[in-house]
Amino acid sequence: MMSQSKIFDSTTLRKTVLDMAYAGSTVHIGCAFSIIELLAVLYRNHLRYPGNDPLAACRDYFVLSKGHGVMAQYACLRDLGWLKDEAFSHYFSDGSDLKGLSDSRIPGLEVTSGSLGHGFSVGVGMAMGAKLRGTDQKTYVLVGDGEINEGPIWEGSLFAAHHDLKNFMVIIDENGFQAMGSTQDVIKLDSIQAKFESFGFEATTIDGHNETAIDGAITRFWESDSKSPKALIAKTIKGKGVPFMENNNIWHYTRLDPETYAQALSALADCVQ
Amino acid sequence: MREAFSEALVRLAKADPNVLLLTGDHGYALFDNFRKQCPAQYLNAGIAEQNMVGMAAGLARTGFRPFVYGLSAFIPVRVVEQIKLDVAHDRLPVIFIGDGAGFVYSHLGTSHQSTEDIACMRSIPDLSVYSPADRFEVTACMEMAYHTKAPVYLRMGKSDRGDVHGAVPQARIGSLLETNRGKTGDIAFIATGSLVRTAMDIAAGSYPDATVWSAPFIKPIDSKQVRTICEQNQAVVVLEEHSVLGGLGSAIAEISSEFAPVRILRIGVRDRFSHHCGSYEYLLKEHGLNRPAIELRIRDFLTAD
Repeated sequence: MMSQSKIFDSTTLRKTVLDMAYAGSTVHIGCAFSIIELLAVLYRNHLRYPGNDPLAACRDYFVLSKGHGVMAQYACLRDLGWLKDEAFSHYFSDGSDLKGLSDSRIPGLEVTSGSLGHGFSVGVGMAMGAKLRGTDQKTYVLVGDGEINEGPIWEGSLFAAHHDLKNFMVIIDENGFQAMGSTQDVIKLDSIQAKFESFGFEATTIDGHNETAIDGAITRFWESDSKSPKALIAKTIKGKGVPFMENNNIWHYTRLDPETYAQALSALADCVQ
Repeated sequence: MREAFSEALVRLAKADPNVLLLTGDHGYALFDNFRKQCPAQYLNAGIAEQNMVGMAAGLARTGFRPFVYGLSAFIPVRVVEQIKLDVAHDRLPVIFIGDGAGFVYSHLGTSHQSTEDIACMRSIPDLSVYSPADRFEVTACMEMAYHTKAPVYLRMGKSDRGDVHGAVPQARIGSLLETNRGKTGDIAFIATGSLVRTAMDIAAGSYPDATVWSAPFIKPIDSKQVRTICEQNQAVVVLEEHSVLGGLGSAIAEISSEFAPVRILRIGVRDRFSHHCGSYEYLLKEHGLNRPAIELRIRDFLTAD
């Protein structure tokens, strides 16, 4: 595990993502950068893994349904000591374990995702399981805004509200983009908060890069007396942290070369200052 | 058959509180007894099959033993990807029950008919496919599906064709069950589901020296046993109320072609949808799966050069 001062530090996490994306010559950097602060707050303040065990029976469940952001989660799992440095330097090498989309065979990743809309329903099942067993486990599912085009999101939302799954929280990474363009241009979503509220969720919208705001919203949700499932809409910036990647959807697909890698590292350092 | 299914489900649920029944708003009368006896283990997931299968995976991950029920046109065909990714990939102990397989819903048309489900499921790794023929096989299959603690698709077709066994068979997973013993060197019938009874009737009427096997397990299937059957007979006839592409006939032919080549006639649905509406018997006739049509094909096959 890394030293406490560095753990879940957003700039360090982004640097880890850049390093592994460069090592593996991989895409989806923008998808990982929009969820860095969300993951940092969840892992630092909320997710409970007794004994630091990713498979502890009474753990909280964190389901990354938008598997495209998995590099951000890998970076967090390294901070937890669940992934070794070699896994990062050898990312995408032949015979390696870490894939470009999340795979449940990696301890700490609850589902195999990337085909969108799956993790949401699995998470609803986990929350229902915890409710049936009467445990206090929480289930968090992080979905992309483009991902909520998928039907099972809304099927599962009906079920979660009908069964008062107050232990279930969906976090929507509203970065405004999906693969082929802006969400507004592809399939307009308008108010995501209003949509989830109309499905019976307790919902709120926050700045998904403001760790204090994220932490406060999650804490308030769990303190709520409402029986409803929760929806946290996080307004984010795809590619956040490296200005030339921000809101530039080509970083869904583009690989780093030596020049852009150096520029990205330098931009990240500048952002901190 | 359906009573045997319902009884097995209640028995398993009463013995193990982790057993849950999830239904996609189907099984109105079928689950009356289950709902009465195990109300806390019954979940109607609504008309939302994709979400239901994902949830079943989540429930299995928290230690439950979900049985997911639907019509086989929907469970499994509508949710192939959820079964592959959410369940089979991690060998989660979820049992899928696809009811009304084949042409059970003869009057309702293609949306409710299911003759591609076995083919869809067979190619998914780590997923077993069971296809019982009578109430005794249903009982055995339900017990085995529960005890394997791995993903299983259990196909239930036409349920009133009569018994093919006299009692619950002592089967190993994968084994073919002999229902009529004939003579070595004659022909063998291998059938599954609703057509086992038909195969037995045809053998009794026209081929007294033929051996008839029921195949309640499409996958895994005992390839050694299939190989022996192919080696010991001059021809094999496979029957199923399913497409000839990717079903039991394909499974037998795959093994035979590699280990024990023999002439195989695959009787099934010949890559076509139903064209007309009518009774179950009418639909079988339309697809050439009624007894006279099958007998004619067997005769032509056996007399062909």
